[in-house]
Amino acid sequence: MPIRRVALVWLLGALTPSLAWADTPLVVEAALDRVVAAPLLDAFEEAHPHIQLNFRDHSTLEVDARVADEESPPDVVISSAMPWQMARVNEGYAQRLESPEARAWPEWAKWRDEVFGFTFEPIVMAYRLDLSRHMMPPNTHADLHALLTQHRETLRGKVTTYSPLSSGVGYSLFQQDARYTPRFWDLVAAMGAADTHLEANTRAMLKGLSAGRYWLGYNLLGSYAMVWAQSHPEVIVQVPQDYSLVMMRMAFIHRDAPHPAAAREFLDFLLSQEGQRVIAGETPLFSVRPDVIGPYTAQRLRDQVGQRLYPIPLNASLLAFVDPSRRAAFLSRWQREFNRLSNPEPAQGAAPTE
Amino acid sequence: MRLLVIEDDPLIARSLEQALTPLGNIVEVFTHHAQAREALQGGQFDLVLLDLGLPDGNGLTLLAELRQRGDTTPVLILTARDGVDDRVEGLDLGADDYLAKPFSLAELEARVRALLRRSQQRVDNRLVFGALTFDAASGVVTLNDRVLDLPRRELCLLEGLMLHAGSITPREALENRLFGYGDVGPNALEVYISRLRKRLDGSGLRIRTFRGLGYRLEEVSS
Amino acid sequence: MIEVEGTLKSRLAIWLLATVSALGVLLLVEAYFSSQHAAERAYDSQLEAAALTIAEAVQWEAGQPVVKIPSAALQILATRHQERVFYAVLDADGQRVSGNLDLDIAPEWRRRASSQPIWMNEAYQGTQWRLYGRELDSAGWETQDPVQIWVGHTMTGREALTEVLFEQAVTRFVIMVLLAGILMLLAMRVALAPLRRLRQQLRRRDADDMRPLDTRVPEEMREMAETLDSLFTRQRQGREALLRFTADASHQLKTPLAGLQTTSELALKRDSPDAWRQALVEVHGSAERTSRLASQLLSMARLRHAVEANATSRIDALALLHETAFDWAQRDAAQAHDIGLAPLPASPQYIQGEVWALRELLGNLIDNALRYTPPGSVITLGAVCHAQTLELYIEDDGPGVSPDVMAHLHHPFERGDRQDTEGSGLGLAIVDSIVRRHEARMQVESAEKGGLRVRLLFPYLTQHEEE
Repeated sequence: MPIRRVALVWLLGALTPSLAWADTPLVVEAALDRVVAAPLLDAFEEAHPHIQLNFRDHSTLEVDARVADEESPPDVVISSAMPWQMARVNEGYAQRLESPEARAWPEWAKWRDEVFGFTFEPIVMAYRLDLSRHMMPPNTHADLHALLTQHRETLRGKVTTYSPLSSGVGYSLFQQDARYTPRFWDLVAAMGAADTHLEANTRAMLKGLSAGRYWLGYNLLGSYAMVWAQSHPEVIVQVPQDYSLVMMRMAFIHRDAPHPAAAREFLDFLLSQEGQRVIAGETPLFSVRPDVIGPYTAQRLRDQVGQRLYPIPLNASLLAFVDPSRRAAFLSRWQREFNRLSNPEPAQGAAPTE
Repeated sequence: MRLLVIEDDPLIARSLEQALTPLGNIVEVFTHHAQAREALQGGQFDLVLLDLGLPDGNGLTLLAELRQRGDTTPVLILTARDGVDDRVEGLDLGADDYLAKPFSLAELEARVRALLRRSQQRVDNRLVFGALTFDAASGVVTLNDRVLDLPRRELCLLEGLMLHAGSITPREALENRLFGYGDVGPNALEVYISRLRKRLDGSGLRIRTFRGLGYRLEEVSS
Repeated sequence: MIEVEGTLKSRLAIWLLATVSALGVLLLVEAYFSSQHAAERAYDSQLEAAALTIAEAVQWEAGQPVVKIPSAALQILATRHQERVFYAVLDADGQRVSGNLDLDIAPEWRRRASSQPIWMNEAYQGTQWRLYGRELDSAGWETQDPVQIWVGHTMTGREALTEVLFEQAVTRFVIMVLLAGILMLLAMRVALAPLRRLRQQLRRRDADDMRPLDTRVPEEMREMAETLDSLFTRQRQGREALLRFTADASHQLKTPLAGLQTTSELALKRDSPDAWRQALVEVHGSAERTSRLASQLLSMARLRHAVEANATSRIDALALLHETAFDWAQRDAAQAHDIGLAPLPASPQYIQGEVWALRELLGNLIDNALRYTPPGSVITLGAVCHAQTLELYIEDDGPGVSPDVMAHLHHPFERGDRQDTEGSGLGLAIVDSIVRRHEARMQVESAEKGGLRVRLLFPYLTQHEEE
């Protein structure tokens, strides 16, 4: 934290000793890019100077593992891996938030008043600006499939997407895709045939796009992509027009949180008008609250994309995705499909399927 | 004797006056308590005949006042109310006798005489009845001015009879007088009575027997 | 004395409320349990549905059961209340094919579920869970091993539903009680109307209205109304008796008074002192008779209308007898007769009674004896101690009375044969009245010497041994 801030807090602490709130630390374990969340965190610290925020940015799997840490559990847990968050809540790791903000939160964006989806992030495709020199940029999933089929050789090795094995959120997104259309597996086969590179997170995909290693990316987190695109004009973000998944980042207070009061203040802030306004105005995370106006609101997204926004439902059905049996079955199918078109190369001398 | 009559009914008042005056009495009649009170405070009377039912107050109050003053004049109450309680109240307050209306004049006269005699006796300390006199101090009895020599028991008996002269002397009273409280046969008293009777033969006096009740010394003519 | 103790309305209200409340409590307890049961059934059927949905997704691959958990099943398990959910699919050996939480399914449970589906409550991770286990027969090509499907969820939804149902029941009950209370108040007014009617009717009566009641009453009030009626009747009869008596008495009084008037009137017309003397003698006699009658009438009235029974006291009967005899013996009227007292028993004999009445009684008897016997007659009073009763008697050696007249002697104004002397016939009626008031008996009989003996038999106040 800037020295200025420390001094300010110290001064406040010295001037108002009667305040019940002495400096409280707050540990937030988040699978959320600090850069993206910076405005939100700053706003919180300003509003709650007596809370010493310790924001730890880790991968979804790491975050999930730390939930089960008995020695030093975190105060607040934020993750984009929705099924894993839901599983932790189902296991009883979350504690209930009783506050006006929590009660007012829309039903479809919370579960048991314990875990809250506080963002509304679209899942997007991204491509390099100069892709359009070679081919028509994709608008829909069908477009993408067509491109991968027709321009396979051009695109070979230049496409990227999530690895369902190493990315929880990636796995969830593919599960969702599979729910909506059986043609998804054709897309997977096409991607496999094009030697698509599987990354563990959106950042890696964006870096690759900017570096020129990748020309096309699928199922990126729209929030990160938009922030990246602001400073990297060579990357174009496209919300699929046929349907677009929406991922809600989920936050809960750990049941064994060492600083529950501070944790409550933080989560309340995320759910408050203030916090959501920051999200809507200064981050591309897209706010959920209907009474907030800004460039990045769920309403705005709906206006742009229309009926075909498919938010991942925040309910018990998420638990199906963490079912080991089901997961194993999905991953093995993924493997099969991914290799379907490319495998029989050597034996058959496969004809180029353009 | 001076008699005071307090009576408001004119008929009765007149009758009383006419009945009692011939006996040698001076009778004064008052019809209101207030007047009577004055008269009592002033003069000396030998007997008061008091009718309770006067219009100006309760006669018992007058009686109470009288006794509280220490005045021992004998009082005979006349009233139409005949209840036991009234009797008892009157006697308790100091009346000497009580006569209910309607009464017969003969009855009234007898009671007046008895009261006068008693009061007289208290003054004189001498009992007189007809021809008999008895001096309590000396213990001498005279009949027709002749001294009677009586043994002690007969003397006691006569004294007892004379004290109640005109009324019945209760049997028990005479027995106690003569024999003390010891047990005596039922006829013991009879013996002395008959002896006394013999002595009174021809004196104009007799002793009348009332079976089971007592004896009465009375004049023969009645 | 009339003490006012609460009101019928409040009594009814309290008792009704008490019973309703008691019943109500029972009802509410029952309602709670049935709410619980209903909620349980509702949620249990969700568990069943979820299990069946999972069962549909069980497949067999290479002899092994494989299940792709349908998300719909999980939603069903979670219910609207967003319960925490549990599921486990076990193979024939109890090994997990798939599942989420590490809730162990005990072998005992598996055994029970193998025969039929079971529901049970189990504590896990600090809360209560409801579990449902079911065995699924398989029809595979390779094996026919059964598979067990276990599902469960937390119970907040159930509890909430129980509460809601119970609250509804309570609300209904409270409303019912309020309504019942209002209706009850109305009903009580209506039910107690006969009382009000009767009260109004009685109030409208005049003070001396003794007519029988003319009203409609419910069965319970019949006794009261009949008692009131008989009270009125007795009062009416009493008043009629009084009127009759007064009529008789005034008639009796008028006769000698009329005689007085005529005699004196006639005497005024004469002018010889002898005639006047004669007239005066008659007048004197008449006046005496009238006086006596008047005081006897007073006694009768006193006897008939004295209501208080607590004027009685413990009386030494022998002392009273002695006193009365003494008193009468001294009187002028008794001078011509020989009144005496027979030897009395030595110890005092007590009876319960009123002193004035007994004095009156004895006095009347003595008076009668004096009047109805010639001068010189012997009149004796005495007492005899019998086993159960104390006898006081008066005996004379006069002419006596014939037996058939004796029976009527104590009716008022009867004089029997004894017409030859003055006096009215009230004396023995008074005596009879007093005797009855003292719960005693009177026997009138002829004495040995031809005269009259009147015996009065009184019950002893205390127990007494035979002499």
